[in-house]
Amino acid sequence: MRVIFGKSGVPDRKQNLSQLYRFCFLMLGDSGKAQEVFQDTLREAARRAAEGVLPRESFWLFREARWRCLEASQSDVQPEPIELEESEIHPRAPSQIQLIDPARLAVWISAAPDPQRTALALFYLDEFDYREILALTDLKLSELSRLLAAGRRQFQAWLDARISAGSAV
Amino acid sequence: MKTQRLSRRQRALLDCAPISQAQVRDRAMRSALSRANGSEKFVTQQNFDRAVAAVVRAIPIPAETAQWLSNKELIAASPWTWKKLARNPAVLSVAVALLVIAGVFVFNFLNRINDFPGSASARKLLSVAASTRSLVLDPVNAEAGTLSDLFFMKHGLEHYDVPEEFANFRTIGCRVFDDDESRRIAQIWVTEKRMQFFLFPAERDAKTGTVLHFPGWRYVHQEGWTGAVKEEKGVCFMAAMRGTQKDLASYLAKAGGKPPVPSR
Repeated sequence: MRVIFGKSGVPDRKQNLSQLYRFCFLMLGDSGKAQEVFQDTLREAARRAAEGVLPRESFWLFREARWRCLEASQSDVQPEPIELEESEIHPRAPSQIQLIDPARLAVWISAAPDPQRTALALFYLDEFDYREILALTDLKLSELSRLLAAGRRQFQAWLDARISAGSAV
Repeated sequence: MKTQRLSRRQRALLDCAPISQAQVRDRAMRSALSRANGSEKFVTQQNFDRAVAAVVRAIPIPAETAQWLSNKELIAASPWTWKKLARNPAVLSVAVALLVIAGVFVFNFLNRINDFPGSASARKLLSVAASTRSLVLDPVNAEAGTLSDLFFMKHGLEHYDVPEEFANFRTIGCRVFDDDESRRIAQIWVTEKRMQFFLFPAERDAKTGTVLHFPGWRYVHQEGWTGAVKEEKGVCFMAAMRGTQKDLASYLAKAGGKPPVPSR
């Protein structure tokens, strides 16, 4: 993570609270719900700060937001657990990805089961290094590696399917 | 990716390789990256990840959320202040403990600074003075200065002399008794403000047995009584009265004696 908390333990709001919102959006795939969780998380942080009990833990905001997102998504209709198709990623992928609407990407990531959902959201925020993601998700390196690699292949398969179906992504 | 040259851990690390490689602090990751550098598969993966990250960066921030971002005081940790620190129970406890320790230290220091050889005995005799009734003394109506001969001839006490400052005071009575260390103490009661005089052996060095001298008058205080003590020829004289140092000092000044060493 580049700069989440300053010396005083206060998050760098300009950069990282935007990322916190994006994280919520990727986790939930819905702007309204993401805003709700984002605001609830900040209210909780403000309350704790006022009481002088704001945790010094570096990733507290993201950890708190993660559980709130998972809790919020529990009340949603749950996708059936199916084996997603996978394709090896190929050099044309970036040009395919450029055409994707961020909301579509968020819906795709939010549909992934946790902890893959959290791993993908945190990784593609490009805010944390792998050690920080491991700390936030309580995963092992081999598990994180497997989840990310599978996520790439599944997303590639989804892109290919979209293109072959001729639908606008 | 040149997988044949990579360990399982390195392959795992490359799957988690940072999208922006500007600063890779992890040594193992740096090593894995340098091994995979230029591999077609890894380059493809990196391009894929960068493209996805670019889409994520393009996620718009709703206006309502943007308002929260501009609220700089939202999660500002309450600033560190002396007031806040002072209210911390642990700090408070330590501060009180330090104050008590400092108080005891200062009290002992002030007590010590005015100590002189025989000051402990003088304080004990002030307690004796406070509890003595005139009935226990042998009635003697004379000038205090004349009792030296009495002490010498009747009790064999040499140099038990009343200093000239107090020699002319009329006496009511006197006695000689042994204190708890079997030292011979002479006690004189005078008419002047029911003052009492004590004559007692000066403190001696425990090893050599020599008298520990001290110059001039010294004051001691005990239970509302004040004593002015002077040592001469191995015997201490103490004039004791209920009152303050100022009350006694006036007698010493009148007598023209050297002013006593200031006390607490």
